[in-house]
Amino acid sequence: MPRKISAAALAVLFLFPLLWSAWASVRTPSGFGLENYSRLFTSDNGIRFEHIVNSVTVSALTVGGTLLVATLGGYAFGRFQFPGKNALFLLTLAILMVPYATILIALYVLLGWIGLQDSLLGLSLVLIMFQLPFSIFMMRNAFEAIPKELEESALIDGCTSFGALTRIMLHAVRPGLITVGLFAFLTSWSEFFAPLILLNSTDKFTVMLAVVNMRTASFGAIDYAALEAGVTFMAVPCLLLFLVLQRSYVRGFMSGALRG
Amino acid sequence: MKRLLSGTVAATLLLALGACGDSADSPAATGEAADSGATLTLWTRAATESVSKAYAAAYNATHKNQVQVTAYPNEEYPAKLASAAGAKALPDLFASDVVFAPQYASQGLWLDITDKFNALPMKDKVAPAHVRNGTWNKKNYAVPHTIDMSVMLYNKDLFTKAGLDPEKPPASLTEFAAAARAIDKLGGDINGTYFGGNCGGCNVFTLWPSVWAAGGDVMNAEGTASTIDSKEMSEVFALYRKLYDEGVAAPASKDEAGPTWLGALQSGKIGIAPAPSAWLGIIEEKATFKVGIAPISGINGGESTFVGGDSIGIGATSKHAAAAWDFLAWTLGDEAQVEVVAKGKGVPTRTDLASNKYSSADPRIVTINNLMGKGKTPYAKNFNATYNDPQSPWNTAFRGALFGDAQKSLGDGAAALTASLKK
Amino acid sequence: MTLLAPTRPTVLPSAPPRRKRNKQWIGALYAAPTAFVVGMFFVVPLGLVVWMSLHHWPLLGAPTINAPENYAGLADDDLLRTAVWFTLKYTVVVTVLLFVLSFGLALMVQHRRRGVGLLRTAFFLPAAVGFASASLLFLGLLSDEIGPVNRVLETVGLVDGYVSWTSGSPNSALGSAVVLVLWRFAGFNMLILLTGLQAIPLDVYEAARLDGATRWQIFRRITVPLMRPTIALVLTLMITGSLLAFDQFWILTRGGPDNSTTSLVMVIYREAFIELDLGSAAAISVVLLGVLIVFNAIQLGVLRRRSQ
Repeated sequence: MPRKISAAALAVLFLFPLLWSAWASVRTPSGFGLENYSRLFTSDNGIRFEHIVNSVTVSALTVGGTLLVATLGGYAFGRFQFPGKNALFLLTLAILMVPYATILIALYVLLGWIGLQDSLLGLSLVLIMFQLPFSIFMMRNAFEAIPKELEESALIDGCTSFGALTRIMLHAVRPGLITVGLFAFLTSWSEFFAPLILLNSTDKFTVMLAVVNMRTASFGAIDYAALEAGVTFMAVPCLLLFLVLQRSYVRGFMSGALRG
Repeated sequence: MKRLLSGTVAATLLLALGACGDSADSPAATGEAADSGATLTLWTRAATESVSKAYAAAYNATHKNQVQVTAYPNEEYPAKLASAAGAKALPDLFASDVVFAPQYASQGLWLDITDKFNALPMKDKVAPAHVRNGTWNKKNYAVPHTIDMSVMLYNKDLFTKAGLDPEKPPASLTEFAAAARAIDKLGGDINGTYFGGNCGGCNVFTLWPSVWAAGGDVMNAEGTASTIDSKEMSEVFALYRKLYDEGVAAPASKDEAGPTWLGALQSGKIGIAPAPSAWLGIIEEKATFKVGIAPISGINGGESTFVGGDSIGIGATSKHAAAAWDFLAWTLGDEAQVEVVAKGKGVPTRTDLASNKYSSADPRIVTINNLMGKGKTPYAKNFNATYNDPQSPWNTAFRGALFGDAQKSLGDGAAALTASLKK
Repeated sequence: MTLLAPTRPTVLPSAPPRRKRNKQWIGALYAAPTAFVVGMFFVVPLGLVVWMSLHHWPLLGAPTINAPENYAGLADDDLLRTAVWFTLKYTVVVTVLLFVLSFGLALMVQHRRRGVGLLRTAFFLPAAVGFASASLLFLGLLSDEIGPVNRVLETVGLVDGYVSWTSGSPNSALGSAVVLVLWRFAGFNMLILLTGLQAIPLDVYEAARLDGATRWQIFRRITVPLMRPTIALVLTLMITGSLLAFDQFWILTRGGPDNSTTSLVMVIYREAFIELDLGSAAAISVVLLGVLIVFNAIQLGVLRRRSQ
């Protein structure tokens, strides 16, 4: 019984900040209301419709791109041997060891040279790169966990490796795919520093940039309530996705993908 | 194969970066007409956004050139500029805090506009302190964009309550301390004064004028050596320190890093405090109390102010230099200064327009505008890293002076600051 | 002739059979997009950074070689020294606390009991909030203006008057950042540890219990050793993440008060964007990267040897 109480208490403690944020976002000097949200969307540097469109675009591109690269890459690492395999894998993991501040200027220069400066596509490519360590690790382990017989039976039936991949393997690694997609969405949706540096025009800004602007909009006064409204607004799609996809990504984790 | 490919890309990148290292194309060579219908990009920081946008809107309505303003969060703006510069992709125009202007000028981030500026008929009437800050090696790179000066703001209602005359603000820093103490005696959650005890930029803005008013200085003229251990500066610190120790300054002052400074003054619970003049309008908008203005003075009198605000110049990699200059010259003209800035309750960047048809409506505005001639804008190439940045040696020094071992902090601080200024 | 010993067929060093070579090319093809993204957007910029660390690199204008000045200059940098000590201290504190917490949570939810799914969701939910968002959330939560923390503590009587959690004192600033990180990442690490826990077959536990082992002995002698790779993964992620910490200090404490919570990456940021000294910033980055590579290599080596 005491264990149940302490577990429940811990759960409440973990949920508290999110609940408080939602509560604070609807708290007004005269009780409760949505005026913080209205300030969030209508003030000079608040969130505009195009910000939302931009965030959705960047997230969609990042999720799509990450799934594509990580699935193909995970398949390669999990099922094939080829020259440079280990080196490439280690290089991919090395991405985790380099902070943003270090390569951001170099990335900015690079994007300029391939004509992708100030573009959502360029930003998405950079975000895909940052997602690769987790995603490829996940997908490689997911593919490795598939029994060889499954793939071999498909090949015997006359499929090419690509056919085997798309028809059989993808279904088998579906939990991994969902996990990778979910985390790609989460990070790209709430990215702040990369869009700040890599985007120049206000009409390309993402929602997160607008929310952070609420912090220092006019020097000397933080609109805390609107800030919490912004945080809550950003968190809602993520929380919804989390809850809906729960079974899948837990299975994704459990499938031994992250056993190390 | 992969290695060869990435090697080629790397080599190309480096070659290109190296080749482009030389000076950008001279703007004179482009020979384009000034109002050619170009689209100009203008970057500014969030604090200045509304003014920049006001300038742009008025200009766009009457010119073929169109200026597009993008504002960035204050704290991350230097990173944005540095990245763009590193990629040789600066906008056509960009504004910056006036105290950062010497650094950007020395790095060549703005184009040389010496000849263009000297050709202006009103060049001597353009805020001289600002102009100097946009200068490096005797060449001009930036012109004033906005002016924001430090003044004493006080709550007239609290003055009356404490038995002080709301129409006779303190004329010396000692009188200021006395007034603050009187108001603090009102008790409750009323406090005599407030300051940014964890904010380097706030402190240079509010404390240095008292040093200047007493005839002292905080640096040498070139901005390469610090004199904060001087008598004048130590006395000012001692005065504020006493106010904090007595509880006359709100306890929250110690941790104030800037973000909630305005909020504290808007609360109506602070008696008198040094603050940006631009806040007069903002505070009055929502206030239930009357606000008064007084110049910042030295320990025994005198008046001075920190002439802050933003400078603006033409981005060094801009392809529309002539059009960009057309905009800049226009912003310094009568129409822009009176109809955009003064009408918006701002301080004109032209000393001859300090009294204009809008300012005379409010005598406080006239007071503010006239301060420009009495104030200074400190000049230092490495200002940001030395004073403004949260990790600056100034932060360590002034916090020690206010909350720690004052003498040691100022002594060590002067050495650390000098080292940083020389970088 | 027939009396000669039968000749052994000469064994030529044969090329791998055609099918295997084809398979290799196919594998490489699948790995090509990865190689492209990693090569183009990571290796190239990283190479540029290493190159920059050997130069005096102005923002505009030609760079000039000045190696090893950028590296030598690091030794005299007081702020860097403070940051190194702080980052190490922070890494130890966070890793220990986060590990204990995550492991505890994992142990709490490992058995299929009623409500365990809800608990697991509750612990993991903070991961749905981006880290920058989480930092802003805590900024409000701990603030004096709208945060409940001060109000509650005042009513309980633990606090008197105004307190700033994020900049009042070095310890409270560190504490704020640590609490933020614990809240945000405990659930994620819990899931990873959970995978390791649930991979241990139940009969191993049964056998031990039959042998009369206590709970603590089972934990020490069976659970932990069998979870070694998972533990190693989790520790690596925590340590690497802590050494590279930036967002929480940038948004929550701004490195203060008095530089007491200034992390290494903050110094890199300051060097690059405030001092505008790209060469030195690059040098610090290279050294940091070197340390991380060495650390991870050692950790991998130890792990490999142990598992043999």
